[in-house]
Amino acid sequence: MSGPTLLLAETGPRGLQAASLETIGVARALAGEGPVVAVIFAGPSDTATAALAAAGADKVLCLRHPFLEEGRGAACAFVVAEIARELGVELLLVGGTPFGREVAGALATAWDALAATQVTEVRRTANGYSLKRPVFGGRASESLELAGPRVVLALRPNSFGGAPPTPRACAIEEHPVPTIPPALLPGTRVRVRPAESSAGPDLGTAPIVVAGGRGFKSPENFHLLEELAASLGAAAGASRAVTDAGWRPGSYQVGQTGRSVSPQLYIAVGISGAIQHLVGMMSSRVIVAINSDPNAPIFRVADYGIVGDLFAILPPLTKAIRTARGLPT
Amino acid sequence: MRIVVFVKPVPEAETRLRPSADGARLDTDGVKWVLSGYDESAIEQALLLKEANAGSEVRAVTYGPSPRSEEVLRACLALGCTSAGWVEAPADLPPDVRLKVRALRQAAVRWPADLYLLGQQSLDTESGLLPLALAMALGVPGANGALDLAFDAARNELSFERSSEAGVEEWRLPSPSVIGLKQAKNDPRSAKLQNILKSRKMPIDRIPAVELPAAPEVTGNANRFRFELPPPRTGARLIEYAAPDEAAEKLVRVLREEAKVFP
Repeated sequence: MSGPTLLLAETGPRGLQAASLETIGVARALAGEGPVVAVIFAGPSDTATAALAAAGADKVLCLRHPFLEEGRGAACAFVVAEIARELGVELLLVGGTPFGREVAGALATAWDALAATQVTEVRRTANGYSLKRPVFGGRASESLELAGPRVVLALRPNSFGGAPPTPRACAIEEHPVPTIPPALLPGTRVRVRPAESSAGPDLGTAPIVVAGGRGFKSPENFHLLEELAASLGAAAGASRAVTDAGWRPGSYQVGQTGRSVSPQLYIAVGISGAIQHLVGMMSSRVIVAINSDPNAPIFRVADYGIVGDLFAILPPLTKAIRTARGLPT
Repeated sequence: MRIVVFVKPVPEAETRLRPSADGARLDTDGVKWVLSGYDESAIEQALLLKEANAGSEVRAVTYGPSPRSEEVLRACLALGCTSAGWVEAPADLPPDVRLKVRALRQAAVRWPADLYLLGQQSLDTESGLLPLALAMALGVPGANGALDLAFDAARNELSFERSSEAGVEEWRLPSPSVIGLKQAKNDPRSAKLQNILKSRKMPIDRIPAVELPAAPEVTGNANRFRFELPPPRTGARLIEYAAPDEAAEKLVRVLREEAKVFP
């Protein structure tokens, strides 16, 4: 392999995205002894850059440009493609966020690369890369071989466990921003309203998600869900019935028309399990369902179930979790 | 306003998925091909824009094999699209988005538009790569995951919202743009019987495969070699308990000791 393995890191309101850290581990595993270079649209002294440098990259390239920091997929892809050509890169990894998906698509054209998203397994072969990804909302999976001089992969969040890579000596460099063609910088991001989400981690990439459904009966009862989420350090989500009714903001919605999540642990509370919801969470690693109806479809996809009244189960569950984790109860 | 909506025939949601005899792909024998939910939303969005902007045209375009392509295009015509275009493709296209981009770029040249609209991802392979890959190839602005599009004819601008890690973003993009839609304002409409009947007689403009440019610019090979179903879920193991406290403690124990996902 000629050039380094390149990855594009992403920053969010909470600093470096968890999806980007996972990407470093995969890049490290695929690169073997070869170098791993990370690109970030942030300054060399930003906390996200430091987190990236500490996570196992050999080099971090910092680029600053307001349009890149706005997450414009086309402009970001153009810049990354320029760097990839300059370094002779063959494999480029991005996290499985909406931004990562946009950049991967744009790179397929801008870098003339083979591309795949939602990758859950990947290994190097004689010809290129062999990978696996869920299709049909997790009802099946497909395996692909991408054999080409340039490959870009967007990884599905929380799919690659294992120990984090050992930190190594990492050079942090500022990299000049290539001149971006004006055609790639049209339009205006008028404003951003911060998501009205729970205080926990981002729903799309959190390793643990707890979600509530119509079983909560009214918006006033959702503090029980938020408390359970806090005890686990989890993101809180909801079914479509709940967000449609306005009990929780739309940013909570898990399902086909909301966020698609694949955490290590998904706890569905008071959610019956309509297909609309299942396709957004079915590829979670371990699923727990708590529901008063033993015939609810959610029990068919769950690994563990508690049939019971959520109002009776949740308070002692939150307490037991806090005790087990040594948190004040 | 001229709108082109790119749609993709996908197996209907109730399809029982099973691998083909060689294990490499979905067995499509007996599959009924339909518009996916995201594509239905894209068509709904295009029709809403057409109704809001007098004199607009909506053309549905697909790149696929026969007869599924004609079937979904007729469904689009029945819903209210004014014309349909079909770019012929082999039944088993390698999983390389650049091949689609090459074909759809040809369609975009034949049928220029103020807006090229797609569903944010297909319902079968769910890659979501196409909107930005196509925008880059057409040299126009692109965005994916858009909600509820509006068109300002005086400013020639499209506006929409979308969610990102940063929150809810409000965007304005000049026309023409390529936009991948997550959801329109309304649920998708259904076709009226009389329009279904009428759609059967409407013409479908065809770009034969031979009219596509050769593909010297596509480097590398993509190959789908396995399609498999996950092991069947056997259903939840129910935790037995006498009192809620016991249920809570047992669940913590299995998550920690058995599933090993306790933080």
